[in-house]
Amino acid sequence: MASDSSPANIHGGPLSPDSLASSPIGNTFSSPGDSRRQKRGRRSSYATPPPPSDSRFATPDATPTPSSTNPRRGRGRGRRSSTTPTAAATPSSTDDAPPSSDAGDGDDIDEAPPMYVWGTNISVQDVNAAILRFLRHFRENPQQIEGKYMQAINHVIEIEGESLDVDAQDVYDYDSDLYTKMVRYPLEVLAIFDIVLMDMVSRINPLFEKHIQARIFNLRSSTSMRNLNPSDIEKMVSLKGMIIRCSSIIPEIREAVFRCLVCGYYSDPIVVDRGRINEPTICGKQECLARNSMTLVHNRCRFADKQIVRLQETPNEMPEGGTPHTVSLLMHDKLVDAGKPGDRVEVTGIYRAMTVRIGQTQRTVKSIFKTYIDCLHLKKTDKSRMDVEEQMETEDRANRNDNDFSVDYEDKVEHLKEMSKQPDIYTRLTRSLAPNIWELDDVKKGLLCQLFGGNALKLPSGASFRGDINILLVGDPGTSKSQLLQYIHKLSPRGLYTSGRGSSAVGLTAYVAKDPETGETVLESGALVLSDRGICCIDEFDKMSDNARSMLHEVMEQQTVSIAKAGIIASLNARTSVLACANPIGSRYNPRLSVIDNIHLPPTLLSRFDLIYLILDKADEQTDRRLAKHVVALHFENPENSDHNVIDLPMLTAYVSYARKHIHPKLSDEAAEELTRGYVEMRRRGNFPGSSKKVITATPRQIESLIRLSEALARIRFSEWVEKPDVLEAFRLLEVAMQQSATDHSTGTIDMDLITTGVSASERMRRDNMVSTTRSIIMEKMQLGGPSTRLLELLEELKKQSAGAEVHLSDLRNAIATLASEGFVAIHGDSVKRI
Amino acid sequence: MVGLPYDCLSNPLGAVRLTFEKAVASGSDPASFEGKDWGAADLFHDFLFDNGGLSQVPMLNPSALKWVQPNTLVRFRGMIQDMLGNEFYVGAHKDGDIWRTNKFTDTSQFPMAPSSDMRIWERRLLYCIPVPGQNSWAEFSPEAVKNPYTNSLSPQREKRRREDDATMSDVDMQDSCHELQASLSAKKMREDEMDFQPLNSQKTATEETSSNASLVLDAETKSFSCLVKIYDSPESNLKLNDVFEFVGIFTFDPDLTADKDDSDELTHGFGEDALLHLPSSKVPRLHCLVHRKLAINDFLSVCPTLELKSNAVKELREALVGHLTAVLGNDRVTAQYMLLHLLSRVHARADTIAVGKLSLNLTCFNKESASVFGNRLKLAIENLLPFTHYLPLTVDYLNTVSLSPKKDYNTNRLVSGVLQLAEGSHLTIDETELQAGTLNSTGVENASVLKSLMEFQKVEYDFTYYKMEMNADVQLLILSEGKSNLLPADLILPFQPSSVDSPSEVDADMLKTWRWYLATMRSLPHSIEPDMQKVVEDDLVAARQADRSLGSQDLSRWLTMGRLISASFGETCLTMEHWQMVKELERLGRERLHGNM
Repeated sequence: MASDSSPANIHGGPLSPDSLASSPIGNTFSSPGDSRRQKRGRRSSYATPPPPSDSRFATPDATPTPSSTNPRRGRGRGRRSSTTPTAAATPSSTDDAPPSSDAGDGDDIDEAPPMYVWGTNISVQDVNAAILRFLRHFRENPQQIEGKYMQAINHVIEIEGESLDVDAQDVYDYDSDLYTKMVRYPLEVLAIFDIVLMDMVSRINPLFEKHIQARIFNLRSSTSMRNLNPSDIEKMVSLKGMIIRCSSIIPEIREAVFRCLVCGYYSDPIVVDRGRINEPTICGKQECLARNSMTLVHNRCRFADKQIVRLQETPNEMPEGGTPHTVSLLMHDKLVDAGKPGDRVEVTGIYRAMTVRIGQTQRTVKSIFKTYIDCLHLKKTDKSRMDVEEQMETEDRANRNDNDFSVDYEDKVEHLKEMSKQPDIYTRLTRSLAPNIWELDDVKKGLLCQLFGGNALKLPSGASFRGDINILLVGDPGTSKSQLLQYIHKLSPRGLYTSGRGSSAVGLTAYVAKDPETGETVLESGALVLSDRGICCIDEFDKMSDNARSMLHEVMEQQTVSIAKAGIIASLNARTSVLACANPIGSRYNPRLSVIDNIHLPPTLLSRFDLIYLILDKADEQTDRRLAKHVVALHFENPENSDHNVIDLPMLTAYVSYARKHIHPKLSDEAAEELTRGYVEMRRRGNFPGSSKKVITATPRQIESLIRLSEALARIRFSEWVEKPDVLEAFRLLEVAMQQSATDHSTGTIDMDLITTGVSASERMRRDNMVSTTRSIIMEKMQLGGPSTRLLELLEELKKQSAGAEVHLSDLRNAIATLASEGFVAIHGDSVKRI
Repeated sequence: MVGLPYDCLSNPLGAVRLTFEKAVASGSDPASFEGKDWGAADLFHDFLFDNGGLSQVPMLNPSALKWVQPNTLVRFRGMIQDMLGNEFYVGAHKDGDIWRTNKFTDTSQFPMAPSSDMRIWERRLLYCIPVPGQNSWAEFSPEAVKNPYTNSLSPQREKRRREDDATMSDVDMQDSCHELQASLSAKKMREDEMDFQPLNSQKTATEETSSNASLVLDAETKSFSCLVKIYDSPESNLKLNDVFEFVGIFTFDPDLTADKDDSDELTHGFGEDALLHLPSSKVPRLHCLVHRKLAINDFLSVCPTLELKSNAVKELREALVGHLTAVLGNDRVTAQYMLLHLLSRVHARADTIAVGKLSLNLTCFNKESASVFGNRLKLAIENLLPFTHYLPLTVDYLNTVSLSPKKDYNTNRLVSGVLQLAEGSHLTIDETELQAGTLNSTGVENASVLKSLMEFQKVEYDFTYYKMEMNADVQLLILSEGKSNLLPADLILPFQPSSVDSPSEVDADMLKTWRWYLATMRSLPHSIEPDMQKVVEDDLVAARQADRSLGSQDLSRWLTMGRLISASFGETCLTMEHWQMVKELERLGRERLHGNM
């Protein structure tokens, strides 16, 4: 048993536990020398002890037992009572632990030369000196004249602040040994830290009365809540999580004043001692000495704010099949109400355990501990969803602030950069996108571009160009459109998935609601606003009501949502990429009809999509076989093995968010030239030599799309410049998409009119022909004012005349309608009458 | 049989203590244990499984609660409904110069001086409930519950309970010393006890005047739950909604409630602490020594030792299809499909696709047939599967019920929803009652939760600030008038009964074999030969060439059906014959579907 680091061993050591107990603080008094002593003297002559609110970890209940919970130090000194107001000497008593409260009798150990933190070989003087050195000399860069923290201290004094934020990274950079000690023995080291701070402050401004506490943040490693284990107790830890519940503010008594009911004598303030106030049983006045006459005077007592906050694991830290863990945080003073439920925070604090208290009458000892974190510092990471993007953002911020780097993050970035250098990164990313959906490579490439996005541009004149790429997928049912949508939704940094059928205009944009409690009108964001800077996936776009769709016009080009109702006029940002998918009308795509006719979308809206893909189910045996193989493999092979050499989802997300965040490609001259050339060529393609027909193959909207696409492609490569190959690929992508959607099926050329007006040039010509033929038939067969003819008869006639070409009743109806509008015929139901 | 020097059944803590002392005596330092096992788990494992002790361990249920003594060995079968995180406890402490352990107990058996050296270990808290929807036949049959405690033991225990806690620990200590010394005579002691057992088993639970009769729970099984404390088990072994059997030390200690009225500032502040809402006087504690995951087979009272011989299985299958046909009013096609449906389970997940599920939508129900066949079907399924649920879907129901579990931050507990189901549960959704109406926001949410369960076999758990998807494996059967648009099933089949005669009674033994059949066939592995794979592929391609409307979902369904048909014959490999059956069945189904339209 000799191996046990039982306190007995230490008790037997050269130093008595008592002196050891007080060592950390007592020692600090000895080191600064006389000035300290004087100061202390002055302080104790202030009849009032320091505001106990200074004690950050006023968790007095914890005192009796946790002292014994940590065998390392085994501070079993609960029996010592030092209620002397000498605590004044340690105004910044860091915690309830006896070292601080006992510190008063520092005098008796002043002469004991080397002081050690109990049970360790950490010399108190060393720590003291190290902290002093750190505070005095740490500079972020050598040019600075004054140390960073000296500046900060001066600033705190100026604003009469109460705390000094100390970046643990700085501590590590300056003195890694001190950092280690601080993390391992936070209670002791922080106590010393506060005393050093006190000392420095009083030297700079002897009249400064407040007590400045060191608030440590930004530890080098943050622990996952799940991995907190008994060995972390009494260590400094850093946790990320989400606040789920805040208790109301609890006023915690720190100093009590009693009044004698008999003679009205006010007692001296009585300081909380281990969570208890000892109510005087006898009146302190010599003349009175009445028994049990003292009563608490509430408004002369001192209280401090305390709050208990519950922190819950963020979803991404949870293993599959688990529920989130929670941990309680104890907040004091300034930290109270620093976070609200729902906030994502990073917390630095000391992990503590306390025994579950048992009743006085209880003789059995309960062996269970409650754990909590004494909070030192709280940093909000982001109010909204914390995704990889935001996570990286915060890490990145820390990165810049400190001119230092976190190893993990840097590693990750290095890895990403390495990935981006691979020549086949584009194809690899394409393959990794929804690996379970086979084929559709060009669609996936388009979606990839959407994920990366182009650069949004805002001109000084106020005009702005969106960087978001909108994509519409039109196709036969069962072509995994919805799956693609789901996948993108999962992948995109932020975004919402809605179904057109269930979305209303207000649900998509924003709506004004009356708060049920206050009756005030409040603006509630809809899906598009909520997916600002993300991708809004809208399934079953065709089934959306016209009203809802019309709301999208503004969003897709101006990227804002304007609201003007119920006294609220607002314009909300909705910098969203829209990924929509639609089924053709009549569930199956009719190749003989135009896209517009097939999906029944207004051309104005359609033209706002950069890429429109037709996912058609072609009767192709090759694809069928691949589908069959895929399905069979899905059922009989281990699905994990089937996809090889693909980038996994978290990596892909990280890659996308890094690129979106850090890469802002610009057009190189060469690329710009290529763009112009390509565009002109595209426009020229519409002019058939010797044809009167003019087909528009490209519109200015296309060139914007092209720019966006090539920027996205450059981003994929992590390149700051858009190169010629990017532009060429962008052209290819656009053409692939155009060919599928804007091809005039009767001629085989690209016709932007199809998208913009819904009627292709050749269709227009065919219609004109139809009208004239019909007119001539009617002229021939029918007399003015004669009996009416049935439409079907006309159709027969028409078919006879135009042998070979197919004529539909609907075509005829259109033609007749045109003639009717000219006043040439009159229509009554199914019969036509010449007028 | 080698006699054990202690009784694992009635004094498991003694056994734990003994192994601990042994470990310490053999030179290991408790300080370095860090909560790891020192041999106690092995001992109990041996006792329970190798020496057949498991059957002697009483099953914890509301009725057993009346007579089971605290600090004895019990077992509990349940589903992990919530995880309450970790708990730190004083694992080992020094009592004078001797190390003591508190593992597997709530309270220290020995006085702990505040100054004594101690080690803090951790354990996990799981909140377990009986498996939702468990049918009465799957419950542990009452005749199997034995009360293994001899009458002679009880008064002694009772007496001990009345004694001071201090002396209690003394007695315990003496006990353990005694046990140590008397390891030789222990065998005899044990034999004595064995002699007592038959006597005892005649006694009913009511005869046993329990010392904690005042703490009797609600007799309702619904509210019966158990807080299981897990030691030494990696986190990944126990997942939410898993069904486990826990064997451990039962504590049900009214003393522990005492700490509640102690107005302690911090505990007051931590008022949301989950444990406060589960006072130990209401929820029994189980300090788990051994746990094992249960399959459906474990819920069958008798397992017929039937070989997987094709003939016997074929007969069984035929009989079961016959039974289902009778239940379904002579609709044999539907019965075939129903059998496949009852055998389905999610066996793999690729991306968002849950492979292996086969949800069935029986259409063409009207008010009358729904009431007749719906009920009949419900009963039949209840008799065949251990965990079943029935949801009559109405607008009102959708608008009010909470389907998905929701985290309640006030109590820090996961409030269970209807859809928090154990793996392999069966859920019948009756849509015939659904009328036109308006869904409120709850209703819309519920509908989408149901839909996501249908499509992806996933249930969204509501954590207020975010949602979390949990995988599920639930067989879904939908009864509706027309094709259910709300709940898109894998398979839509118009139901065409030809008679309303009620099926003949099935004898209990037959039911047992069918249960066994369903549970066993369901868990069979499955594979495909390369040349068969080729045939299947060709068939799929040909089918798609012939009918463009077939999507990957249809093809996927065919393969699932192929797998299930093979499984229904007790085979693990897809054969040509079975593949032809799939096609035939599919043809019949389609015919019916089109004929119906």
